[in-house]
Amino acid sequence: MVAEGALAAGCRFFAGYPITPASEIYEVMMRELPARGGLALSAPDEISSLCYCVGASLRGLKAMTATSGPGWALMIETFQYALMTETPVVIALVARLGPSTGGATQGAQGDVWLAEFGTSGGYTVPVFAPSTAAECYELTIHAFNWSERLRTPVLLLSDKEVGMTTEVVDDDALARPTRVDRARIAEGEKPRPYGFNAPGDVPAFAEVGGEAKVTATGSAHDQEGRLRKNSPEVIEVLSHLQQKIEAHAEEMTLARTDLEAGSSYLLVSYGITARAARQATSALRRDGARISFLQPQTLFPIPRRTLDRALAGVKTVLVAEENLTGQYRALLAAHLGGRRIVGINKIGALISPAEIVQAVRNEEAR
Amino acid sequence: MSAYLAPDAQLPYCRGCGHASVVRQLSRAFERLQLPPRSVALTTDIGCVGLADSLFPYLHTVHTTHGRSTAFATGMALADVLFEQGSLKPVVMIGDGGAMIGLLHLVHAAQLNVDVTVLVHNNFLFGMTGGQHSALTPVEFVTATTPTGNYVPPLDLLELLRAAHAGFLARQSATDAGLDALIAEAIAFPGFALVEILELCTAYGTRWNKLTGAKLKEIATLQGYALGKPEASLERPTFREVIRHQQQNSHVPHATRPEVLRQVEGATLASELRLVVAGSAGERVQSAAGLLARAAVAAGLYATQKNDNPVTQGTGFSLSEICLSPRPIEYTGMEQPDVVIVVSADGLKELVANGTLAGTRPETLLVMDVELDVPPANGRLVRLPLRQRATPQRAALAAIAAWQALAPILPPAAWDAALETLPADRRGENITALQAGRELAECQSGPAKPT
Repeated sequence: MVAEGALAAGCRFFAGYPITPASEIYEVMMRELPARGGLALSAPDEISSLCYCVGASLRGLKAMTATSGPGWALMIETFQYALMTETPVVIALVARLGPSTGGATQGAQGDVWLAEFGTSGGYTVPVFAPSTAAECYELTIHAFNWSERLRTPVLLLSDKEVGMTTEVVDDDALARPTRVDRARIAEGEKPRPYGFNAPGDVPAFAEVGGEAKVTATGSAHDQEGRLRKNSPEVIEVLSHLQQKIEAHAEEMTLARTDLEAGSSYLLVSYGITARAARQATSALRRDGARISFLQPQTLFPIPRRTLDRALAGVKTVLVAEENLTGQYRALLAAHLGGRRIVGINKIGALISPAEIVQAVRNEEAR
Repeated sequence: MSAYLAPDAQLPYCRGCGHASVVRQLSRAFERLQLPPRSVALTTDIGCVGLADSLFPYLHTVHTTHGRSTAFATGMALADVLFEQGSLKPVVMIGDGGAMIGLLHLVHAAQLNVDVTVLVHNNFLFGMTGGQHSALTPVEFVTATTPTGNYVPPLDLLELLRAAHAGFLARQSATDAGLDALIAEAIAFPGFALVEILELCTAYGTRWNKLTGAKLKEIATLQGYALGKPEASLERPTFREVIRHQQQNSHVPHATRPEVLRQVEGATLASELRLVVAGSAGERVQSAAGLLARAAVAAGLYATQKNDNPVTQGTGFSLSEICLSPRPIEYTGMEQPDVVIVVSADGLKELVANGTLAGTRPETLLVMDVELDVPPANGRLVRLPLRQRATPQRAALAAIAAWQALAPILPPAAWDAALETLPADRRGENITALQAGRELAECQSGPAKPT
């Protein structure tokens, strides 16, 4: 469904390298993309995969690759290049268990920090996290749309359990976001490769091979793309890279919320664990508990306003995620206004609805 | 100065550095070819040579990361193939250090025969970072990191790329006459072309080594490097030609349609049901489970399927976990399965190891091959001669059919709809397996308790 979403979003270039649990996206794209007028290619490694995608995007095509943690580690330098050169590209990161080669056929949610903070320089990287096959479709389209609109690389973070579970998709209920294409430079307009008026603006795109001259560079540069050392013009561009994300943060927010008035508890979960959390929320309510539920589909930028709304009246926030370090919990903690925050964490198997219910019960008994 | 190189260009290179010469020769090469400036993507790597992009104000320029310039250029060239009027000429400027770390990109670009021209500026060391040696540094050459002389034989890029089927390979020194013509020939070549240019680094190369421009040829000879364009180009189709040929000759497959199952009535499932099928690799365990999931979906149920097997795929266990429900399925964990089907010793071993059997309850139904040892599990046990009667290949589907005969949730028409999704030549064996399973269930007087 990630591949189908990419095709619906207008993806015309894919380069991939085999890695469980992302190989299915690669295989579907190799089969389907040429049939629908695009180009799909096997790269000799993950570094090449993303370089090819960025090159294709510079040429003007929407591009995507898919990988897992080990491959993502190799791609990070190129991802940073896309960020710096304001080149749209989408990376589907299908996480697996553990560090290094890890457990290739086991799911986990331990790559949240790596996805968000893998880049040097300190920038907010948009990350979308689907929990179902249908959400894979919808969020892939959003990932492309925001990548195009903001001229920035975007991550779609799922895991083996989301990526390799076959499930029914209700075609009638499938959300089909309208496709967005990058804003291109007007004909005859003087090219300013990284030009903007307000810092939150996005420079108009000119493709390599087109009439407008392209000056792309991964080095610190001014709005014209000229290399400059630590000058005010360069700092302005470096700040703009963050400001354009922040300026659109609220608009970028996608979340599934199920709020109940008078709730003392807010359960937050994302990706595969959100499924168990939804089930746990229903079970708790059947037993008379008052609890609200929030699934951020846009993990980053952190959906601040949606979170604020969900927090009304809440005393305790529980965050369920399949990692040991409470990766998303740690980042949410700064935005809770001193409320108690509790982690529901484990690795090696799915967090079950029963475990989440038990964690809420433990809180109630405190 | 030509129209390609900025007339007022201040070349940012040390006195005597080979890069300055190459930049001028490259500009002359463009002039010779009369290439429209906007058809060139000058793609520069990291290092002193990477400063060249700012010297060409009319070309598209892409200044990239260390060693990856070839890969970015390849991406541009690959994408260009989809443009009907595409005629992009990416030209890569890379050093010997970049060629070393980005070697695989050179190899793959050569294999693809993509229209990329690579100029390797080989001055035998990393200049910008202080004169460290690279994989192309000659033996006995003194650098910041080989103070007593390099002892690792240098890589012969041309020989290596010849093995990668590169069509245009040449080597010259930066000061040789005719470099502009050679570069022009490389750029005009429709596939992958690489020119290795031997240069002096006057900041470090000549400081630590007795080195002059004339000495470059001597070094080349000593290292066994051939100079010039040693062999005629290899004739083979370019990437652009391959893709065009595929498009024109309909080698491109048709798009796959989403699978839509014919819907039937009559599922009798009030709440979620979780089932595990375990057997051996190669015995169609996962495809049997897939057929069940399809039959369930045909009957209007929701279904999820998760498969597992050892990393080697073709040996050991094969396992499939199925959830069926009249409502959308959220949690797919299998701590407490309702039905466990085991058709081989491999499968049984895995279900013991992964804890599935520990999660069985008195109401769990276990359908097992009669030859298997009775496992430590709760639940109602049905032991059937599945492998013997249905064959090992059909045992999993026969077991599923037997379970469905004993505790039906799907109407027969659902199986017909599921079978319709299979290729015609695969239906017969599945029908046989389903039939065998139903017959075995009929002979079964009733589920027994495990001892």
